[in-house]
Amino acid sequence: MGMALMRKFIFRYLIPRIIQYLTIIFVGITVTFIIPRLAPTDPVEAQVSTMVAMGSSLDPESIEAMRTALTDLYGLSGSPVEQYFTFWGRLFRGDLGPSLDNFPTPVSSMIGQALPYTLRLLIPAVIISFIFGNVFGAMSSYYPENKALKVIEVLGQVVRSIPYYIVAIVLLVVFAYFIPIFPFSGAYPLGTRPDWSSPEFILKTIEHAVLPAATLILIGFGGWFVGMKSLTSNIISEDYVVYAETAGLRKNTILTQYIMRTAILPQLTALAMVIGTVFSGALIMEVVFGYPGIGGLAIRAIYSNDYSMIMGITIYSIIGVATAVFVMDLLYPLFDPRVRYQ
Amino acid sequence: MISIVRDLLKYDGRFRLAVIFLGGVAAMILLSYNSPYDPGKSFVVPWDLPPSQQYIFGTTSRGQDLFWWLTFAVRNSLFLGVLTAIISRVIAILVGLTAGYRGGWLDRVLMSLNDTFVVLPLLPILILLGFLLRERMSLFYLAVILGLFGWPFDARLIRSQVLSLKERSFTRTAIYSGSSGFWITIHEHLPFVLPIVFATTINNILWSIGMEVTLSILGLSDLTTPTLGTALFWANQHGALVAGIWWWIAAPALVTIVLFLGLYLFFTSINEFIDPRTRLRLIGG
Amino acid sequence: MKKHTLTRRDFLKQAAAITAASALPPQLLALHGNKLLAAQAEEVAPGVPRNQCLILENPSGTVLPADDFNRWRSGYSGVWVCGLQQLALDALWYIDPDAGVDGVWDNALAAEPPIYNDDFTQMTVKLREGLYWSDGVEFSGDDLYFTVDLLKNTPGMGNQGLFERSVDHMEQPDRYTVVFYLKAPNSRFHAAFTVRWGALYIMPKHIWEQVEDPVAYTFNPPVSLGAYTLRDFDPNGQWYLWERREDWQRTSLARLGEVSVKYAMYIDPGPSDKRVLSQLAHELDVIHDITPEGRITLARESPTSVGWFPSFPWAHPDPTLPAVIYNNEKPGLDKREVRWALTLAIDIAQVALASYRGAATISAIHVPPTGMYPQFYHQPLEPWLNDFTIKVGGEDYKPYDPAAAQRIADLARPSLGDLVPTDPDIIRQYIGAGWWKYDLQAAEQLMLDAGMQKVDGKWALPDGSPFTVPLMSMNPESNPTMNRAAAMIVENWTAFGIDTSLDSQANPWPIMSAGEYTANLAWTIETWGGHPDLFFFLQYWHSRLYVPSGENAAGSNSMRWRNPELDRIIEAIEQISFDDPQGVELGLEFCRLAAQEMPITPLMAYNVFTTMDTTYFEGYPSIDDPYTDPVPNWGNTKYMFVKIKPKEA
Repeated sequence: MGMALMRKFIFRYLIPRIIQYLTIIFVGITVTFIIPRLAPTDPVEAQVSTMVAMGSSLDPESIEAMRTALTDLYGLSGSPVEQYFTFWGRLFRGDLGPSLDNFPTPVSSMIGQALPYTLRLLIPAVIISFIFGNVFGAMSSYYPENKALKVIEVLGQVVRSIPYYIVAIVLLVVFAYFIPIFPFSGAYPLGTRPDWSSPEFILKTIEHAVLPAATLILIGFGGWFVGMKSLTSNIISEDYVVYAETAGLRKNTILTQYIMRTAILPQLTALAMVIGTVFSGALIMEVVFGYPGIGGLAIRAIYSNDYSMIMGITIYSIIGVATAVFVMDLLYPLFDPRVRYQ
Repeated sequence: MISIVRDLLKYDGRFRLAVIFLGGVAAMILLSYNSPYDPGKSFVVPWDLPPSQQYIFGTTSRGQDLFWWLTFAVRNSLFLGVLTAIISRVIAILVGLTAGYRGGWLDRVLMSLNDTFVVLPLLPILILLGFLLRERMSLFYLAVILGLFGWPFDARLIRSQVLSLKERSFTRTAIYSGSSGFWITIHEHLPFVLPIVFATTINNILWSIGMEVTLSILGLSDLTTPTLGTALFWANQHGALVAGIWWWIAAPALVTIVLFLGLYLFFTSINEFIDPRTRLRLIGG
Repeated sequence: MKKHTLTRRDFLKQAAAITAASALPPQLLALHGNKLLAAQAEEVAPGVPRNQCLILENPSGTVLPADDFNRWRSGYSGVWVCGLQQLALDALWYIDPDAGVDGVWDNALAAEPPIYNDDFTQMTVKLREGLYWSDGVEFSGDDLYFTVDLLKNTPGMGNQGLFERSVDHMEQPDRYTVVFYLKAPNSRFHAAFTVRWGALYIMPKHIWEQVEDPVAYTFNPPVSLGAYTLRDFDPNGQWYLWERREDWQRTSLARLGEVSVKYAMYIDPGPSDKRVLSQLAHELDVIHDITPEGRITLARESPTSVGWFPSFPWAHPDPTLPAVIYNNEKPGLDKREVRWALTLAIDIAQVALASYRGAATISAIHVPPTGMYPQFYHQPLEPWLNDFTIKVGGEDYKPYDPAAAQRIADLARPSLGDLVPTDPDIIRQYIGAGWWKYDLQAAEQLMLDAGMQKVDGKWALPDGSPFTVPLMSMNPESNPTMNRAAAMIVENWTAFGIDTSLDSQANPWPIMSAGEYTANLAWTIETWGGHPDLFFFLQYWHSRLYVPSGENAAGSNSMRWRNPELDRIIEAIEQISFDDPQGVELGLEFCRLAAQEMPITPLMAYNVFTTMDTTYFEGYPSIDDPYTDPVPNWGNTKYMFVKIKPKEA
């Protein structure tokens, strides 16, 4: 790349995209600051009333005193605008504040503990279903008469249409209860402490991840399949594919080099965005399998109106997805030489 | 039109299956208007009966005839899915085509907006909105909210498709021959974009129905309206799985599969028919 | 819709059908009572044999952060009930919700009950000698003095407000005596120290006196005053493993018997269905709560599973009263006639069936029908209830239906067969006595009496504006029964022409407290259970503590009920001591007043389907040996650990 081209790339392509990237994060985080504050109840009351409802005998005045104390502790005494600026100030220092439901534990340490479990499960599962879905999807449009592929197609769509919850519970009951070949709950056995230096423990965690991952893979497969199939259905009759066939290139080469390579682009963009489904997909699965990840953390935080936790998780997600999309955007021209940096 | 349907019925097994499936769903929806039972009433039939000739999907632990109850559920869920899809399709096509074709600052603004919607984690927001709206969170509101959130994935997909199309020879030819941008967009690009729109429409309907199921399982939707999600919610609330009332879970799952598979086969079949290149293979053999 | 009502024949058909239906899958489940993979090893943890380790459900689920054992900080955390307040901490006194091991009242750390002076401005506490912390330090008055002193002077700690406001100073005449000098007379000051579910637990002074910031301190590892210490726990909060102390004889529990269970593990067992499957596989000894259907499955398929009642309705009735709570400030609901009309528009039999499949213990009056309360209140009031009248259309109307429980039993029998008792005395004990009539005509007349009008088949306010009564319900993950009851009431009210809808909330409590609701199914009445004193909830109900809707209520008066007669009763209770026999008289007066005014509609006891597996252990509490409440998050369940014995040593 020459100097001029480089400069053009930086000013015309990179900088606008960085600005866009930062804007997205700013707007996203601001929205997530506002929404929980619109909820009808406040986190202090959630704590106090839970104690009263749990049957703790507290006299009325000490309840009032507790409200005041918690409001001060949580730093919720100022106006929303003040809180907003404090919040950004803290955020720039990398501090997401204390969890309100689990005061004074920092939000970041709780997320830091749960996130790896979700990612360790989600990333392999998403990649596996991405690869299988796309390969079979492309094959199915290239070999439209293949019976086995048709069966796979229909099965994939059947499974995809079943709600997460049912797929998860069926896998659980069948493969952990009736035929107990996989563990029933958790990310590792009860009574065992996580020890990531022990190969035995890592094997255990893999064993525990099979069913949750299978849920995500089975459901994700059909989506990638359909996406790839519809994208490649245009390409198989393109001139260059026809030429390649006439020229006697091997079918596999045509499939991977000519068809999939072109159609994979939008799929890769979708892959970047799928990181955002960390919440919806993983949430139900984590509840069913008792997996100690981010989904469970999110639902607890929402029930207890733990603003700082909800925002913490949301911020992680926003930054994660925005970064992935941004990187994908920069890499786009590498995959498709026809699109130049504009 | 009739001849197209006849051709499809004749040559395409998938289309025949789709017609059967969707016909079944349509029949259920029609039957719901003539149901002998009010779905809001409990203990109108003996409870916990397995599927039989009299109660083809069995009865629930709340004394409801599951078949008739599901006629309302499938009607409501489909309403939700279709309304979501219409709202989000309109936005996705407009944004995707405009951004992809026009490019420049408009593209960047639209994609910023698009990407902001992509990065916002929907489920926590939906749950929080559920808290805000509480008992006012009707199926209609849910459809509108899902529609407003459900377009960015597809808008980006459409945009990237248009980006590749723009580089192709026929677009250039069209430009050299003096066609206006709008005309190119509609006549040259839309046909190539439509397969994606169709594919994403069922995705979107499915996503929307699935989102409602997730919210319902968490108890956060309008629980007294029969839907495929609230069917599972109430089955769960009555421990149907361990109580052995498997039909309360299996029947809504079956209806969901039939509905979705029907839509899927219908759209793929139509899609291939629209596309002249694949149509030849379809009927020409 | 006459053609759809159930006939007797349908019921019989159904009885046969449900037997056939349920004979299939659950039996398969049971047949496969093989071990789950996770626990195929005979050891629960390294060196912890399964048959020595009682596995209990922590109903608060996963505890996060897992390593923070500070039970004294303001606010609630699931760590309280991971075994901490049940096994490791101890308090001065315990009141049992049931009969108790050795009476309802137990002097645990205290040597005797609280000693007040005549005007209730001093409370003297005498402590037991010879009790030790798990690190070998002796427990003494220093610990009690230190605990109250620290809480009083540290904002951010629980009970800080209470002690700050009520304790003037303390004295320690000797090592085992502490005297509290109160700023104002208070005959119930000991309530803060008396465990009923939970209370103020005592801190080890020698640990906490070195702590600089008590609010941030995590008390890890916890030093124990109970019979167990923490052996290990999951950093992700899914399990806590406790081990019996070598010197358990030096704890307050040892007086009551031998502590034979060597290990106890509190776990997060997942949703209801998973808990049922876990117990079928004998991997969960004590279930806190499950769906009624899950309980029925265990009753049919798991011969080793036992509950509070030997049969229907199985569940332990907690001394808590689920009720339809009206916001007494909303237009329409501020009228007694309307609240009564809504009450008479509820078919309690259908509600009992829909919520608990009939396994409910109903109550017409405003105290829970549990523990000793039927003897204290329900039975003495029965004759009065039979003659009780309200004005309907200017005439006297008797709203009480003494046969309600019988009706529920009859309706439940077709689906549950012999499991449902037939003996009227047993039905009275298990399901309760009567309830209010289901009488839509009387309800209609009451609405008209209140000036309400019917517009297009829906009730409207006297000025013609809409009268909407959305019903909020509590729908926690642990138990669906309240939500099911609420859905049935929505159906009942809709049939009566009320514009209503179901608003189901996982955590309704803050919304209730703020008064941001119209009607609500939850509870505002909880009692001691074993002791007739009603101050446990009435302390919040005096009009001087009244807070309007929009602001947070001071405690449980979230229905915003004010009444001069109520004030008189509460003031009278404040004047007398805890054990004064006059207390029951005043309690009965309260019940009669609440029945007339109907500020909330009482429904039933909060029945908890605590289910215990006798595969490895036996000696659980039950109605036949009601020594304590088995519901495992209660602090009182420490008493189970002197009665439960491993089956093979």
